[in-house]
Amino acid sequence: MKTLTCFDDFKALHDRLRAQADPNTTTIVIPAGTCGIASGAAELIREAQRAILANDLAGRVALRVTGCHGFCQMEPSILVEPRRTFYPKVNPDDVERIVRAAALDEVIESLLPPGPMGGPCVATQDQIDFFARQARGVLSGNEKVDPTRIEDYIAQGGYSALVQALSRSDAGWVIEQIKISGLRGRGGAGFPTGKKWELARNARAVGGKKFVVCNADEGDPGAYMDRSLLEGNPHAILEGLTIAAVAIGATHGVIYVRSEYPLAIKHAQIALRQARDMGLLGEDILGSGTRFDIDIVQGAGAFVCGEETALIRSIEGRMGEPRQRPPYPIAKGIFGAPTCINNVETLANIPFIIRHGADAFAGIGVEGNTGTKIFSLVGKIRNTGLVEVPLGMPLKEVVHEIGGGPAGKTRIKAVQTGGPSGGCIPASLFDLPISYDSLTKAGSIMGSGGMIVMDENTCMVDVARYFMNFLKDESCGKCFTCRKGTQRMYEILEDITLGKGTPEHIDLLEELALVVKDTTMCGLGQSASNPVLSTLKYFREEYRRHVEEKRCDAYVCKNLVGAPCQAACPVDTEPWRYVALIEKGQYDEAYRIIRQANPFPAVSARVCDRKCESRCSLGVGGGESVAIRALKRFITDRVDPAVYRPEVRSTNGQARKIAVVGAGPAGLAAAHGLSLLGHKVTVLEAEQESGGMLACSLPAYRLPREIVRAEVATLMNENITVRHGVVFGQEVTLEGLSAEGFDAVFLAIGAHESWRLDLKGEDLAGVYPSMQFLKAFNLRGEELASGHVGIIGGGNSAVDAARVALRQKDVTSVTLLYRRTRGEMPAYEEEVEAALEEGVTIETLVSPVKIRVRQEEIETALREGVELETLVSPIRICSREGRLVGIECIRNRLGDLDASGRRRPVPVPGTEFTLQFDTLIVAIGERPQSAPLAAMGLATDKSGRVKVDPKTLATSVEGVFAGGDLVTGPNTVIDAIAAGKKVADVIDRYLRGEPLVEPAEAKLPTVFLEPADVDEEDLENTTRAVPPVLPVEKRKKNFREIEKPLSAEQARAEARRCLRCDLAFTQERQPVCGQSAAVGEEYA
Amino acid sequence: MDDRTVETIVAEHHGSLGGMLSILTAIQSEYGYLPEDALRRMAAATGESLTDIYAVVTFYKAFSLKPRGKHLVSVCLGTACHVRGAPKIAEEFIGQLGIASGETTPDKEFTLETVNCLGACALGPIVVVDGRYYSNVRKNQVAEILKRTREGLDQPRENRRFPLSVRCPHCRQSLMDAAHPIDNVPSIRLTMSWDGDSQPLYLSSLHGSLRSVCERETPAHSITVLACPMCGQDLVGDSRCSECGADMARMTIDKGATLMVCTRRGCAGRRLNLETTPAEAD
Repeated sequence: MKTLTCFDDFKALHDRLRAQADPNTTTIVIPAGTCGIASGAAELIREAQRAILANDLAGRVALRVTGCHGFCQMEPSILVEPRRTFYPKVNPDDVERIVRAAALDEVIESLLPPGPMGGPCVATQDQIDFFARQARGVLSGNEKVDPTRIEDYIAQGGYSALVQALSRSDAGWVIEQIKISGLRGRGGAGFPTGKKWELARNARAVGGKKFVVCNADEGDPGAYMDRSLLEGNPHAILEGLTIAAVAIGATHGVIYVRSEYPLAIKHAQIALRQARDMGLLGEDILGSGTRFDIDIVQGAGAFVCGEETALIRSIEGRMGEPRQRPPYPIAKGIFGAPTCINNVETLANIPFIIRHGADAFAGIGVEGNTGTKIFSLVGKIRNTGLVEVPLGMPLKEVVHEIGGGPAGKTRIKAVQTGGPSGGCIPASLFDLPISYDSLTKAGSIMGSGGMIVMDENTCMVDVARYFMNFLKDESCGKCFTCRKGTQRMYEILEDITLGKGTPEHIDLLEELALVVKDTTMCGLGQSASNPVLSTLKYFREEYRRHVEEKRCDAYVCKNLVGAPCQAACPVDTEPWRYVALIEKGQYDEAYRIIRQANPFPAVSARVCDRKCESRCSLGVGGGESVAIRALKRFITDRVDPAVYRPEVRSTNGQARKIAVVGAGPAGLAAAHGLSLLGHKVTVLEAEQESGGMLACSLPAYRLPREIVRAEVATLMNENITVRHGVVFGQEVTLEGLSAEGFDAVFLAIGAHESWRLDLKGEDLAGVYPSMQFLKAFNLRGEELASGHVGIIGGGNSAVDAARVALRQKDVTSVTLLYRRTRGEMPAYEEEVEAALEEGVTIETLVSPVKIRVRQEEIETALREGVELETLVSPIRICSREGRLVGIECIRNRLGDLDASGRRRPVPVPGTEFTLQFDTLIVAIGERPQSAPLAAMGLATDKSGRVKVDPKTLATSVEGVFAGGDLVTGPNTVIDAIAAGKKVADVIDRYLRGEPLVEPAEAKLPTVFLEPADVDEEDLENTTRAVPPVLPVEKRKKNFREIEKPLSAEQARAEARRCLRCDLAFTQERQPVCGQSAAVGEEYA
Repeated sequence: MDDRTVETIVAEHHGSLGGMLSILTAIQSEYGYLPEDALRRMAAATGESLTDIYAVVTFYKAFSLKPRGKHLVSVCLGTACHVRGAPKIAEEFIGQLGIASGETTPDKEFTLETVNCLGACALGPIVVVDGRYYSNVRKNQVAEILKRTREGLDQPRENRRFPLSVRCPHCRQSLMDAAHPIDNVPSIRLTMSWDGDSQPLYLSSLHGSLRSVCERETPAHSITVLACPMCGQDLVGDSRCSECGADMARMTIDKGATLMVCTRRGCAGRRLNLETTPAEAD
């Protein structure tokens, strides 16, 4: 490598390299930063080398190995120039095909990324949403250069900004440019860089020394843009640092880099060597007379060293303890000499500003916050990686458009910015434009640009605890309030997550946080309270749930969760326990365990929405969750309910009279519970049959009627009287019940009134609200549907109505119309495939429905022949001679995000079309028929739901309680059962004059059951048991139950898959060999 | 510890920026940890008190006063990894290895540590074992990772190797020697000279293999001259090794394709360049 001794030498080299670099050369570009290597880029590189040589393409197809391009999630990836074809997640076996196609200027479509929402593939990198909305300035260099080749950087115009700076005679020019650009420090605090440099320039060198430091101690967990820049484009940092030195008159440069970044250190070392060899660093840079060189100092793992005074101590080789400022490092830094410290990203921006002009930079972003900023968008988000956007972009654009929204079916809750010194910004504030000032105002900070997305499976108390644990370890200990304050805050948070929290904990935490903020010296201490204060500000309810109700709704705090399946169950079933008993063949005992928690085991075994399975550790940990409901079905199908004999409490003549209105799951669970407590219960039911929604809404192919009747019968005893055909509000009123001598009333009349479309013609013959349609058939056998049937809606009852209609004899076709799309649901692929298999035609680009119902339910409906129309809304009902003939619809497109992060359906003018229907079923939701209740003095909301105290279910009327769908609106069966179970206890306490609820306690497993001897290899080979089902042809036009129980072998194998989360809570209490302990006590 | 390692390290770093930090980092990379004896010798050589050295050692996380195991497992607990379930991954390693974070297994096979952030946040949870990164780790993969590490599998450099055929860039004659196969393929024969002594050097032609054979081994890290055995010309090119900075020898594979090999004995620096514009006319 020839040393360059004057500007002309440099220009000649630049011109030569530039001329050689033909932008039309076919080049295979492979990003191989730390993240690329972690994803397998090394294999792609070797495979590409082999393919080029083996196919005799050397000299025609070039290979460039670069740093990270930012879309880390898609790595290992390949970019083919000049077409800019982007191949994500490349399998090494496909590399040869890619290389050969590239040589022919062809594209392999099957390896391209799918377009948005299943649309056509995207041909170039720049068309991908993730890249398209970014404004890549600094980061764009990463894909253009091999970081180990200075020639690549120079060919791209590198070091020309340095030449410009060196050749200016007016020394203040560079600083003036930086000031005009408005660049602020990218490391966190956002101090104007030009101003800092001016101060540094004016500082007098000490002992002939003045330092300029690149701070690459990127300690904020979750931020990694500095690593990416130093790894991917190290010469840009060297150039920026050298320009800084020229501007301020520094004699020595230092790159302080954390030891956790080995590749960044290596690339920086290579770059330094090359720059020195070339004469771009050293005694006489390019013959300009400027003398400057750079050393690399490696950190050794201390977060506080990111603080500038601590960093200086560390460069001096000492403990990295911060000191009081002033004097600022600008005046007194490394060994007492003036020291100007800039962050990596700040320095990377310098060559850009000098080369493209300060005004161009100032034109990006917003007033006071100019230029672009790189963020590391990570955590619970679909597209993770580095994004570079203009400052001022709204947070929601970064999260939802570039980031693509949540990774799965969850909802995004917050974004944490600024690392341990920052805070959490809730989803409700996502309209916030991203700038130094707006983030500070929201209680967080810009920091180095970490953006960690959190969803409903992230516990905010745990996040605060996490940061406090980090900070207490990283506090240098110099200030008492930081050392002890972070420790005490951590202990308080730990207590809360362990279930030992009280409301006083929260008050103390807040007080302490404010004291630490005010009484510490350095940035670490002053901002240490931010994670606590911001979570308290925006997520106080989560703290309250932890301390008052002992619940961690994110299922993160282990000691509040116990066994997740148990914690998830609204009726406190212990699934782990009956699953273990099934494994041991103790079926009767398994039944008793199920039944003692749940009065409706056989019903739940068929229609429960399985909250337990969605929380199963096996599923969360990367496998398939245990088929808990199928195991319950296995037990309830084979065990006689008589094995469970509940005791009826003796009341010693103190029995009271209670009225329960509504014989649905909530009402019957309450009546049963109260009867066992010895009370006399009268149940009033409007229909002629008990069961509520179980009987009138749920189709028999899912829940056979005889199962409902048999289960209801087991709940009856001499304390319960049921009166059928009594309509509350007509025959009976609250006043009347009081006059009859009832001491308390439980209202559970469900939600039976269908919402209306509010279109003219809704009362025509042939148009039915879904509840009317379902009741007519389920209770009276009347078939209201015929011919072509349209169903409007996307909820549970819409799908039920569709499938019931399909089974009625005069029905020709069934079409489901829904106004939104399925959007980003991950089940997408399988479902579309299954639907197509069944011959369903899907018209829209964005295919099936965003239906708030379980995926398999939709899938089954499709398989049975239900047709789907999505993104449509009805606008007119068409009639002839008073009879329905069809509906006019309009197509929708997806618009802006609403508060929930879902996109609103927006009608597209001019897309109206008509569909012919003989029957139209309106299934857009149900509401309680609560008008009569309001008249009796009960407070209700605008959806007709009765307002209750959520802890006690007490209504606004003394002695009257309410639960089930009447309170929640349409909801699951198991939640209704839970309400009934709970209210039985509450009413009993009420009647005895006791406080209505006891202090909450976490529900942890207490009973030890010997784990099965399971061979791990066996376990890996077993997949989740799938219950047999009736084939499609055998279930059309009839109501036979579709799902069948597991076999005994299947059930045992399935039970053996359970990870037994309960053991963590019960095993340690077991006696060790030779010790005696009262095991029986555990069962007491 | 009767060699002069510590004194050499101190001499190299004393008085430079980073001071004690650089010295301690170098000692630790030499021994895998910081032996007490080495610290005492460092104190003597630098004039720093042992107390000050101890303060620095215990202030920074990267330093270890205890010997570490054969394999180092680092579980990242950065924020992004944390919200994606890293604590459960850490627990799984703790459970399977039966040691707490920061400890070493009694058989000295594994040392387990948790780290604050490894900067691969988009791929969390991240685990690094002996420098090999595992991304998006799920709990049920932990056993497999440990098993593969124990068995020495999963070294990426073992994967997808393929043989090269090279020529002298000067006389254009083939350098391949089928009579001296290495890794079951013909080797590349060069003439290696060091300190006035010349001898044949056989390199594996398998791209990805670092094996080489010579009769008289030169001292470790010595910089040699590599020449063509046919025309005798020095093969040194104009680029330097990215691993160590020494000059590299250049051989021709094909149009635009060159193989660069570091002239430093024992250095892993090798590079296969594939360009469409040859740096120099062949």
